[in-house]
Amino acid sequence: MTQSPEQVVDQVAQLDAARKLVLGDAALYPQIVNGILPIVGANARLELRRWGAEFLAETLASPILATSQKQQLAPTVLSSIQETLLLPETDNAVLASLIQTCASMYPLIFRHTVNHPGDNKTWETMSAVKQEILRKMDSFPCSVKICCIKFLQRVVQVQTPGLIADPRVRPPTQIPAWSPDAQYFETYNMQRPDQNETSLAVVPRNHALLSLPQLEAESSGLLDRLLDVLQEETCNPLIVNATLNCLAPLIRTRQSIANKIIQSIMDFFPTKHVRPPFTPTVRVGVKSMERTARALLFNVMKKNPGHPLMGKMQHYIERLMQSRLETAEDSSRKRGPPAEPTDGLDQTKRARLDAVAPPPLKIPPLPAGPTSYDQLFTLTQDIGLSSFDVKQLPPDIVVKIAIPLLSQVNPALLTQAVDAIRSRYETITKEQNHKRQQLHQAATAAAADDDDDYEPDYEPEDIGDNGPGEAAAIAQEEAELEPDLVSLGPFVLPQPPPLSEEEASEVGRSAVSRVFGMIDAVDAASSSSSTQTKPQQLGFARLAGSTFDREAWVVLLTRLATRAPAGLEIDDKVKAGSAGVKRHSTISDSIRETLYRYILEDFRARLKIGITWLNEEWYNDRVRMKAANQERTDADDEPTVTLYYDTWVLRLLDGFLPYLDSKDIKILVRFLSEIPEVTIAIIQRVAGLARDPERITLTVQALMYLVMFRPPAREMCLNALEDVYQTYEESRPAAGKVLAKWRPQALPAPAEQASTNDSSNPTQPAPSTEAQAST
Amino acid sequence: MASYDPRVNTNSTTQNPPPPPPPPESAPSDMTAPTDGAADVVAATTTPNNTNDEQTDSWKLKFCTVCASNNNRSMEAHLRLATAPSAFPVISFGTGSLVRLPGPSITQPNVYSFNTTSYNQMYEELEEKDARLYRHNGILNMLDRNRNLKWGPERFQDWIPGQPRLEHISKGDKGAQGTEGGVVDVIITCEERCWDAVVDDLMNKGNQLNRPVHVFNVDIKDNHEEALVGGRAILDLANRLNESAMAQRNTHGSAGWENGSGAARLSFDESVPEILAEWQEKHPNLPALWTLAWL
Repeated sequence: MTQSPEQVVDQVAQLDAARKLVLGDAALYPQIVNGILPIVGANARLELRRWGAEFLAETLASPILATSQKQQLAPTVLSSIQETLLLPETDNAVLASLIQTCASMYPLIFRHTVNHPGDNKTWETMSAVKQEILRKMDSFPCSVKICCIKFLQRVVQVQTPGLIADPRVRPPTQIPAWSPDAQYFETYNMQRPDQNETSLAVVPRNHALLSLPQLEAESSGLLDRLLDVLQEETCNPLIVNATLNCLAPLIRTRQSIANKIIQSIMDFFPTKHVRPPFTPTVRVGVKSMERTARALLFNVMKKNPGHPLMGKMQHYIERLMQSRLETAEDSSRKRGPPAEPTDGLDQTKRARLDAVAPPPLKIPPLPAGPTSYDQLFTLTQDIGLSSFDVKQLPPDIVVKIAIPLLSQVNPALLTQAVDAIRSRYETITKEQNHKRQQLHQAATAAAADDDDDYEPDYEPEDIGDNGPGEAAAIAQEEAELEPDLVSLGPFVLPQPPPLSEEEASEVGRSAVSRVFGMIDAVDAASSSSSTQTKPQQLGFARLAGSTFDREAWVVLLTRLATRAPAGLEIDDKVKAGSAGVKRHSTISDSIRETLYRYILEDFRARLKIGITWLNEEWYNDRVRMKAANQERTDADDEPTVTLYYDTWVLRLLDGFLPYLDSKDIKILVRFLSEIPEVTIAIIQRVAGLARDPERITLTVQALMYLVMFRPPAREMCLNALEDVYQTYEESRPAAGKVLAKWRPQALPAPAEQASTNDSSNPTQPAPSTEAQAST
Repeated sequence: MASYDPRVNTNSTTQNPPPPPPPPESAPSDMTAPTDGAADVVAATTTPNNTNDEQTDSWKLKFCTVCASNNNRSMEAHLRLATAPSAFPVISFGTGSLVRLPGPSITQPNVYSFNTTSYNQMYEELEEKDARLYRHNGILNMLDRNRNLKWGPERFQDWIPGQPRLEHISKGDKGAQGTEGGVVDVIITCEERCWDAVVDDLMNKGNQLNRPVHVFNVDIKDNHEEALVGGRAILDLANRLNESAMAQRNTHGSAGWENGSGAARLSFDESVPEILAEWQEKHPNLPALWTLAWL
């Protein structure tokens, strides 16, 4: 089969045209594939073999070609592949494509064999090809070998039991091959080949060709072979990454082997498998393996948040990151210690490399008199050093200095110093105990002299009343000594000076602004990590503020505004209210104000916060009304409770209504439907939107929604709608439709319509009073 | 859309003829030289699609560039790769949930959905909104470049590898030639986050095609200047990779394999870490990352 180069080029061009054809219309595949196979077969020229192998790989993997059709093509393609492989084929590109094709084909042939237990030839061919690939795998060059790895993964995936998705499919073990059910089972699978993923689970136990235990054993061996690359002494990043990246589907869909795979990943540390020198190439490899292993485990953890190995996986990822740091440090350490002077003259700077015992530490004696902690712990005699106040340094610098220092401290010196302090401490305690005993004895001796002057109900243990001078002296002396006692009793922090009201509210405000800061911070953090982790849905198990996310802070803030000062304000009001003095703004008001502004800044995104807040306000109003009702003593004393909900719901609505455009119907409806109470004032404002001809539909739709889904507010809304209908002519088509359904009597009769066009409708009913409030 | 399609087509036809003879001609190979010569003959004699045939005939690596919104970095790289002297087949994607472009303030980005909004649409909308602002911050220039490259931003997670992309060729997307099969050999992301998303998404897609794909990250800051620098660096990487892959393809058979020397002895896939390390030394400010994944 010799062809001139021109012919080959011609043929390739024709083949390309054919390929374009099938890419455009998948129905042509069977025809084209069967036509092409002889041209690109085992004995064709290299270009044609390459083209053919690539085309077959593409065909059998194509998502546009139905599995059933691929299944029909597979046996023919398979025999052609076997021929080419056995040549043997030597071109890497052809080999790589052929093995890719085999990987795509394996589940198809497997399924074919399950459905056709009589076709032993196809299965035997497949097995022969499989053995050929597995045998040669290790001798293939890397670019082919990675395709073999993928083939291996496919075989393992097919030959391990998967999930049976449809419960109506009976377990195949219960269907004897001879029963009519087997026939049914077969056609069932034929008709709906995608119903159950191809795996060992779809093989009947008594299949003529496929022996379950044998297949399972083989796949277990192949899995070991697949995972072996993670344990080898030296590793090739290409092979390791190829393996890691194909494990995810196995872990996800094959429960029985998932843990084994995860376990072997967790035993894999790329840094262990590389030897110096760490060339840039080696570093690229190590980093890529680390990141790939991490990506794989993240994928597993994301798919299965309650995984039993969760903790271990997290731990592994941490260790992985740490080991990376070590290699990074390794490279910086290689520069060597530059501190060593090479001339040998500078003795003081020469590092002490030999372990000479340090010179004994000189311990200065403690100054006479009472000792302070400062003196107790000061060993240096350098005045500059001992008078230096460490508190002047910022803590992070102290940490930066202290930790490296601690690691360099000579242990022998440290022991000496600690011993010195300990002996000082013991001396001081001994002295003080001695002193105290003496004082005590002196006091009791003095008290024993004049017992009767004691007041009977006043019995200080040791201080006599008769010698006020003496006792006072002792007390003073003791007071002087007290702070020096190293064995101090419990320490009581002195009460801070009381805050003035302004100061208190200032502090309160700053706390509130920090909580707002948290909302923003969590916002930023969550948006940056949103691609990585999805917040877990807690459902009914959720507690307000339990998750420390943005929501939690919002709840915290709204409750801070509504509930925290509830009781306090009432008192305030009682005191200040009678005098008619308007209370200066309280913290909660300032929180409300800030919340209000915060929401309006971006009301489309933050409306949810507003709704949460208003719900809290409403609830708080109820609670306070109930409390006030219980507290009142006589029946005619009407309890006075400031209702915040009404004020703020209107302010918020007024705040964003001007900015609503005609497309914001979702926002308005959401707001109206989720606030706890719709009042007439609210409805009036919504109806007022109709003044703007562009927003009439918005008004009508919002009102219609409330009419339909908020029955308590229905009357109120219908009244408003009627009003709108009467007032704004442009609204008639839309509003008319709604009214026709819900309040037909409000519409003028068709005949009158022309005449009563501008006059108000006499049949308009008075607004119903029951529908004032709805909850 | 209709108004802009013809322009793209004219652009692509004016752009296509110049490419100089592709590297394989100079490569010492007795296999490809006559093939290429013959290709010219075929190209001269066959269909009006002759330029396409010439391009697809010389084999090349197929590329895919990815950033967050498929607007700035990935599109700059798309442009570089598609219009290089040896134009590469290239497609591009974004991994974000939505296309986000800077708006009047940091909290008011302009948001569009992937796959359904064209660059032209965005261009016209923003021009109408505030032409001065968006011209000043470079958004309009960027969108103008993009709308001459392809129809609109595509989301990586919605990509079905292996799904034919014939319609992109008929739309005249730049770099679409050679990507009709809907597969690529190399994916280059422009941010670690995107690399993570791509690797993760490929795992989720289930590796159905059994086809290896090299996934690189080249960390580029998301601004116009850095995108320019990064795009050039990505083209450099692409050229290096392609050179190695071509070399491997030309030394076919075990005989050629044994006779190769140095890097040529390594298969292309195997030499990727080395190529990346060399590239990284030349571009130390663009930290890179790599793995071999599966389509």
